[in-house]
Amino acid sequence: MTTPSNIIQRSGFVCAVLALGAIAQTRIPAAAAANWRIDPARTHIAFAIDAVGYPRTHGQFRQFVGRISVDFDHPDKSAVSFHVQSQSVDVGSPSFDDYMRSTAFLDAAHYPSIDFVSKSVEKVGDHTVRVTGDLTLLGVTKPLSVDVEVERQAGGGGGGRLEFLARTSIDRLAFGMNSGFPLVSREVELVISSEAIEI
Amino acid sequence: MIALHWAGAAIILALLAIGWTMVYGGLDAASTFDLYQQHKSLGFVALALTAARLAARLASPSPPDPVSARWEQALAALTQAALYLLTVAAIVSGWLDVSSSPLPVPTRFFNLFVIPNIAAPNLTLYEAAAWAHRAAVWSIAALVALHVAGALKHHFLNRDDVLRRMAPLCPKPGAPPG
Repeated sequence: MTTPSNIIQRSGFVCAVLALGAIAQTRIPAAAAANWRIDPARTHIAFAIDAVGYPRTHGQFRQFVGRISVDFDHPDKSAVSFHVQSQSVDVGSPSFDDYMRSTAFLDAAHYPSIDFVSKSVEKVGDHTVRVTGDLTLLGVTKPLSVDVEVERQAGGGGGGRLEFLARTSIDRLAFGMNSGFPLVSREVELVISSEAIEI
Repeated sequence: MIALHWAGAAIILALLAIGWTMVYGGLDAASTFDLYQQHKSLGFVALALTAARLAARLASPSPPDPVSARWEQALAALTQAALYLLTVAAIVSGWLDVSSSPLPVPTRFFNLFVIPNIAAPNLTLYEAAAWAHRAAVWSIAALVALHVAGALKHHFLNRDDVLRRMAPLCPKPGAPPG
């Protein structure tokens, strides 16, 4: 049975693969790269959206799954996919959550999943990889490119930590999410953060 | 009638306080959303209460006021009539505002059921209704202040029983003790 906790745990691999690509590029041995585990308590898929005359809405998705494949010798052949359960949206109030799930925004009854499938992964900096793929929202698929920052922290107890941070924004109108425009901004900021623990 | 008056006063003050807080309070989006829902729900309670008060007022006109000057009676009657009118205007314009908003948010009456909209989304109508709602609400706030000032003048300057007649817990003049 799939529970929220193991869903989140598996989702951590989404960020792990991005980190592993960067590690491989920075010549850390592949054998070490396999020994990382995502900390589910420190994994967040968050978003923010502005509106006229209304506070900025911050939210996150609580349930998601991810799959990865990593080619340490050829990081450009690595792949990432993740599937976010749209009904798991959390904007801080049950009634507000229900509204976000409604046809006005996520239409979770008809489109239960928000999907990202990568097409390429490339190193663009010492601590940055760029993941390019397709994002499907409300049944509409559009290309999306995300830069992921990766930072390695020395661990106090012998194990290190990897921090991941991905920021991007999407145009919700391109996916047919038109409610409230122009009062509600067309741009939605996405922030995905996570940490992996060396084991 | 007196109970309806104070219930209406409490609801109007609550609506003013919630309305001000949700617009100017600087709260987060989730708290603001919940306050909007409470404000809208309470607005429909105010609509029902105002209808009841108007019906009661028509069925039983106010007692005569032999102590006030004519101009005071005229001003009091005008203030009270304006309060009724503006209360209805504020509620209807608020209902029109949420109905015509380009971002229609269903009004869930205390999370029990959805109250239907009275217009389709329309930015021009929405902006006009929002303006009318604000104008009515600020006018109500001013008239409530005038209404209270008048009552206090009767009590402290004229030293008559106009305010005491409206007090819910005080014995009425001429009423048997106990």
